[in-house]
Parts: sequence; C-alpha cells; structure tokens
Amino acid sequence: MHESRFFAWALGVVLLFLLGPFVVILVASFGSEAIMTFPPEGFSAEWYGRVLSIASFRDAFTTSLVLALAATLTALILGFPVAYAIVRFDFRGKHAVEVLFASPAIVPALVLGFALLRFFVFVLAVPIVPGLYIGHTAVLFPYTVRVISASLRNLDPAIEEAAISLGAGRLRTLATVVLPNVRAGVVAAFILAFITSFNNVPISLFLTGPGVATLPIEMLIYMEYYFDPTIAALSSVLILFTILIVQGAERLLGISKYL
Amino acid sequence: MRQFRQKRALAGLLVPAGLFLTLFFVVPLLVVLLQSLQADGTVSLQRYVEVLTDAQVRRVYLRTLRLGLIVTPLAALLSYPAAYYIARRSQRRRSLLMSLVILPLMTSPVARTYAWLVILGRFGLVNQTLRGLGITAEPLRLLYTERAIVLGLLQLFLPLMILTLVSAMENIPHDLEEAAASLGAGRIKRFFKIVVPLSADGLVLGGTLVFTGCITAYVTPAILGGTRVLTLSTLLHQESMVMMNWGGATVIAVLMIATTLVVHGALRATRPRTA
Repeated sequence: MHESRFFAWALGVVLLFLLGPFVVILVASFGSEAIMTFPPEGFSAEWYGRVLSIASFRDAFTTSLVLALAATLTALILGFPVAYAIVRFDFRGKHAVEVLFASPAIVPALVLGFALLRFFVFVLAVPIVPGLYIGHTAVLFPYTVRVISASLRNLDPAIEEAAISLGAGRLRTLATVVLPNVRAGVVAAFILAFITSFNNVPISLFLTGPGVATLPIEMLIYMEYYFDPTIAALSSVLILFTILIVQGAERLLGISKYL
Repeated sequence: MRQFRQKRALAGLLVPAGLFLTLFFVVPLLVVLLQSLQADGTVSLQRYVEVLTDAQVRRVYLRTLRLGLIVTPLAALLSYPAAYYIARRSQRRRSLLMSLVILPLMTSPVARTYAWLVILGRFGLVNQTLRGLGITAEPLRLLYTERAIVLGLLQLFLPLMILTLVSAMENIPHDLEEAAASLGAGRIKRFFKIVVPLSADGLVLGGTLVFTGCITAYVTPAILGGTRVLTLSTLLHQESMVMMNWGGATVIAVLMIATTLVVHGALRATRPRTA
C-alpha cells in the first residue's frame, strides 16, 4: 500500500462506521415482517404509511416543530444583543458573561432538565408547554451567542462607525448595516439551534407530561412497546431531511465551522 | 456622560438574556444543589453518604467513567488519520467531506441509535451474518452491553473529535510539511513528526468534549444499555422518574455536574499554551 493511501483508507473506514448504520436503517425500514430482522425478509412500504397514520406521531411532530421554532427565535432575539455586547464592548465582567452564556452547553443537559423539573414543579408551578419552551430556549443560548459572535468578529467595526458618523442612529445602523452583513451567521445560528431543539431529548425527557410529547420522546415511548420497522421508517425520513439540511447548510454557510 | 450612555446600552443588551439564564438556568441548578445538601430539614451530607456508599451507584459511576476512558482514546486514534486527510483537501472537497462527517451529530439521536438496534439485535445484521456463516448456532446477546454503548458513543462523538482536529490542523502552516518533504520525509513521517505534535491542542480540546459527552450522554446508553447496563444519566432518570427517589437523584445530578466541571478544569489546565 502506498503510504499516502493510508489516510484515504482511514477516512473511508471512519465514514463507513459513521454512515453505514444509516444505510442499514433505510434498508430495514422496507422489511415486511412485524419483527425487525436484517437483512429484511420481503419488501413493504407499509411502515411509512403507518408512521403517518399514528396520531401521537403527528401531534408530537407539530409540537416539536413549533417548540423548536419558538425556542430558536427567542434564543436568537435575546442572544444577538449578548453577542454584540461581547464583540463590540469592553467591560468589567465580560469573561463572566461569556462563561454564563457558554455554560448551558457544558452543564449536562440531563441535569438541567432534572433541575428545571424540580424548579418548575416545586417552586413555580409552571405548566408543561411553557416549561418545555423555557428549557429548550435555555440550552440554545450557547449556540446562538457563539455563532453570531463569530460572525460579528468578521465585520469591520469601521463600517458601523462610518454609518453613525454620517448620522444614522444606533438602531438604524444595526438594521441597515450590521444585520445584512451577518445574515449568513444568523441563518447558521438558526439552523444549528433549530436542529438542536428539534432533536433534544434530555430536557424534554423531564419536562414533557400527559398529552404533550416531542417527537423524539414519542419515538422512545413507541420503542418500549413495539419492535416493528415503524421507527425505522420514521428515522429514515428524519435522516433524509437532516442530510438535505446539512448538505445545504455546509455548502452555503460552512456550518461545520460553527459546531 | 459618554460612559454613562455606554453603561446603559450595555445593560440593555445584556439584561434580558442574562435575566433569563439566571432565572431558568443558574437558580434551578442552585436549588438542586441546596436540596442535595438537605435532609430532615437541616443542612447535612447525609444524602451524599447514602448515595456514595451505595454499591450500585459506585458500580454505575465507575462504569460511566470507564466508558469515557474507552471511547475517548478510540475516537482519537480513529480520527487522527481521517482528520489529516480532510485537512489537506481543497476547500470544496473539505466542505463535502465535513458535511458527511457531521451527519451523526445533526441526526435525531433516537434515529441514530435505533440503527444500532438493527445491527446488534437478536435478528440483526451481525447475528444473521454469524449464523449464515455457520459460526454461531444461537444469536449472541450484543445489545444491552457496555460494548454496544461504546459503539453508539463512538459514532456520536467521532465527528466532534474530527472537527476539532481538522481545525487544529488547518492552522499548521503548509511550509513546514513542504520543507520536511523536500528534505525527504514521507507522508507518514511528516504526519507523526509535524502534524501530530502541532495539533496536540486540538486533541486535548476534542478529548475533553468527547469524554464529558460520553459521561453525560443519555439516549445512547438508554437504548443500547437499557436498565441492565445503567450509566450515571440513565440512573438519574431511573431514580427520579421511576423510583421517585428525589433526594438520591439530586445527589447524582450534583455528581454529574461536578465530574464534568472537574474534567473540563483539569484538561484546560494541561492545555499547552499557544501564541
């Protein structure tokens, strides 16, 4: 083996390990048996129909979608000013602010879910849906603040100063000069935060309750009772969507830089 | 006057989000810490004594650390050559390869982990192959083992290690390798003499992320370990939501945070300083 080939082979093995399971799940989703086997015996697409026919999956999908949108927008709107302050201002306690906004990604999410449950149930009596919304928003801050900070750092402050010295107010400068220039960063932050919330288990695990579940939680519940290819079919759909989003986001925004 | 206005602007920028995180992140965690230190209405370490002397908790805690200690070096070993290959491609190729590598990180954890059930299950890929080849007569129990969790964690965290290594390697000037090449060093020699030492920073950072990720992951051990092979996270869920042992659960929660912070602190301290 030529020695430079070694590295190509190493990558090949890693990619096979990372992506092979996705191919397996796609193939398994078309099996006709009600007990999952691999390789599948017979061919059937009925499980895809079954995914759509289960009402709790449809409800959970809607819940996850709305929750991810609301939490992402909140973390973006509240996180943008924080990123702006960190990049453009020098102040005492800046390091503490940076640590605070990075820490929801360092503290185990499961522990935060547990803590929020204790706090919401025993101290505040917050209902399920607002509780989920708050928990999801809290874990998204590190992503929005980090990604937007990175993209603000690439924007020359002289451009803003020019706009201000020409008479544009702070808000006008923000809307017409800053925002358009960090658009890519904001979109990257949105995608990253949305996916993080949509896929979240550890927060939702503690904060969902009777009648309200997110899609990943509903899938976990279903898996406790059935081992038919329904979850494989649903997983295949989710994986295909993820591939489309990630391919697009990487090509247009270089999203792996922000992870 | 200018300073006053700047202070007001700063407050306007920081207060809304700061208040949010203080109320819904800092305070709840402090409440858990306080509750863990409380027993029979007074401050005491009694709960800690109870939990930490429990043989099951100790076994689970050691297993959790062991999983991190197995997965982290494996991830480093597999990632290094792959990351080197990616880091030396053109911008376009690198972007394509990265979008493939990060897929497991972005995919629904339930979907990702479910694939391993299909591979390792009783009638799964591995067992059917072994039986087809006549190597085993009865299906092997591959699920609900530490090994199954290791595979799942490795798939989840390899991308993180590769990402950090690639960005560390991108910062190594190409001239160094070109100089070594012109003096006759082959690719493998350059890799070990130049790339590995100069990307040690990335390795330490990646190692921290992978290790702490492993010891706090929930979905992977929940699906692939079940209740048979518990880790700290699945134990926390079990104790609180199933056993309703809230006191014990608060101690496990504090233990998880403390372990994570210690690992972060320790690895950060050993991190080589770069200019």
